[in-house]
Amino acid sequence: MGDLSELATLASKHMETWLFYLVALITVPFAFGVLLDRNIIRAGFLLIGVFGGISALFLLLQAQFLAMAQLMIYAVGITLVVVIALMLTNPRMEEDKSPSIPAQKAPAALVGTLLFIALYMAILSEGWGNNSEALSPDNITIIGYSLLTHYALPFEFASILLLIALVGAVMLAKHDHFNSKADIDEIEEETKEISERNEHVVKV
Amino acid sequence: MTSSAVPYNLNEIGKFFLLSGVWLGIIFGAVWAACWAVGMLVPQLILNAYPNDPCALNVANAIRLLTPLVGVMVFIPINAMYMVLAERRGLALFTVRKGPNRVGPDGFLQTAADAVKLLFKENINPHGGDVLMFTLAPIIFFAPSVFGAIPLLAAVTSNHDLFKIVNLPTGIFYVLAMSSIPVVGIVMGGWASNNKYSLVGGLRSAAQAISYEIPLVLAIITTCFLVGSLDVVNIAQMQKGTDNLASFGFLNWNFFGAGAIPHYLDLLMQGKLEGAQVVTSAFWSLALAFCCILLCGIYLTGACAEINRIPFDLPEAESELVSGYNTEYSGIRFAIFFLAEFTNLFIVSTVAVVMWFGGGATPFPGFLDANTFASIATPFNQALAQAGLPPLMDGQTMSGAFWAIFKTYALVYFAILVRGTLPRFRIDQLLDFGWKKLIPLSLILLLAVTYIRELV
Repeated sequence: MGDLSELATLASKHMETWLFYLVALITVPFAFGVLLDRNIIRAGFLLIGVFGGISALFLLLQAQFLAMAQLMIYAVGITLVVVIALMLTNPRMEEDKSPSIPAQKAPAALVGTLLFIALYMAILSEGWGNNSEALSPDNITIIGYSLLTHYALPFEFASILLLIALVGAVMLAKHDHFNSKADIDEIEEETKEISERNEHVVKV
Repeated sequence: MTSSAVPYNLNEIGKFFLLSGVWLGIIFGAVWAACWAVGMLVPQLILNAYPNDPCALNVANAIRLLTPLVGVMVFIPINAMYMVLAERRGLALFTVRKGPNRVGPDGFLQTAADAVKLLFKENINPHGGDVLMFTLAPIIFFAPSVFGAIPLLAAVTSNHDLFKIVNLPTGIFYVLAMSSIPVVGIVMGGWASNNKYSLVGGLRSAAQAISYEIPLVLAIITTCFLVGSLDVVNIAQMQKGTDNLASFGFLNWNFFGAGAIPHYLDLLMQGKLEGAQVVTSAFWSLALAFCCILLCGIYLTGACAEINRIPFDLPEAESELVSGYNTEYSGIRFAIFFLAEFTNLFIVSTVAVVMWFGGGATPFPGFLDANTFASIATPFNQALAQAGLPPLMDGQTMSGAFWAIFKTYALVYFAILVRGTLPRFRIDQLLDFGWKKLIPLSLILLLAVTYIRELV
């Protein structure tokens, strides 16, 4: 009987490497697409492929919970917010045909290279805690315990950060039309004008 | 109302039941036969043809692993056909009409004919639209619902050997993650159509899905928290009632406070409660049951909004947006959207059944349970055994599947009833209701359940 444990033994180290390259082969073109597509909304949709690929990598590392969270939050939630923001700010949905400014190219290349070197060195560095022991099947329980005991403080800080962002967004979005006297006067004038016009129309 | 109206409608209700019975028989006969063929018959034939061959064993096992996928693939198209027909006939019942009644005997084949018609229609790409995205959108809308449904198979078949593999430790979280993807398909289709109505439909769908996903997930999390597991098979099995009072039949479902009420009744009958305890304990048990019923209600409301059904079908509000995000679609792409919509309705109902209504457990102990179905299955299995074939069914799985289907369709009919009853929300009312009522309510319930379950 094909059981999960049997499958796990089947998926040897070798197979994992092959799968990794397969996922990379799918994900990297998506990432390039996000950068190179001139149609900015399509680039936004391509992000789904990138995030989906990353979630597949998490699955390969047997981090099921992270993979699902990645899919739910990044591949769907974040991408949708990005795409909708793009649609609202670029309502004509035209391709961006303006030529890129040459003065920006050199600093952009510099920052990109520096970032790449920093990430590369971080990946090569020691201290990733490589251990080959098998993960327990209920690692969700372990994640839960550590989030609420050892990492309780960062966890709480993350929630406070989100709360601040939420309150800030509400404050920015809240258009208080009637908070200043000038506004009220303006509106009164407008209504007066409109009513006069209406009277005129009625007379005619 | 004339005096002849009542018997006329009774007649129609009878026809509706007959139609449901026939179609459900077709659906589950086909699915059962396909699963049996792929999971039992073909592997056995391979093993008989090449005994003692390790390669044949591997092939047979690989085919066996495909059973859940084949089951779902056979199930989805036939099920959608039935559900569309049931919805049209059901709505006709509520509005005292006849509904589709021409194609085939009494309209039984209406949706089959519709499906064939849709498949042969021309695919039209809108002028100025993004063809690639336009084609991908229905697929992104449909595919996740297929994969998302698979873990539920293990829960509703009492963890049958063939379906064990699809049971994940992240269970319900996986289902939720998968069922959140289709919104992307709607937004994509709406944008790629190069049509204002479609775009507005897509944007509405995104706003709606994001706001209603929060109460929906909170309701499920609270229930998981009460049960102490994310594993769908675990959750379903924990609700299985027995015939002793401490976990009696349907009272043991999560819908009635995850066993709080039968536990209280048991303590009361045994006389273990004294004085004021009788009242306080009853109060807390009832409070927990009330919280659970509210959670189930929040889930069903959120699910209705997630899958764009009336009263939350703003993405395709035909009085304002022609047909919303699928205005430009025709032919098989439109059929896929349609298929996915009904499949999603079925899946959210199944999730509700697994989370709150006991999965495949019988509501009354001893009523149509594993033993009854085992006695039905025996003659079939004996006949097959004489022909040298593997057994067709076992009582445990049969009873699980029967009850899960029964409960799921009960919820589907409830959704049809809601569709026939409620008017459509306005978009601002919809967002107000989601953010200002449902989310606070679900947060309060999370807190309340945390404390009450300690007091019960």
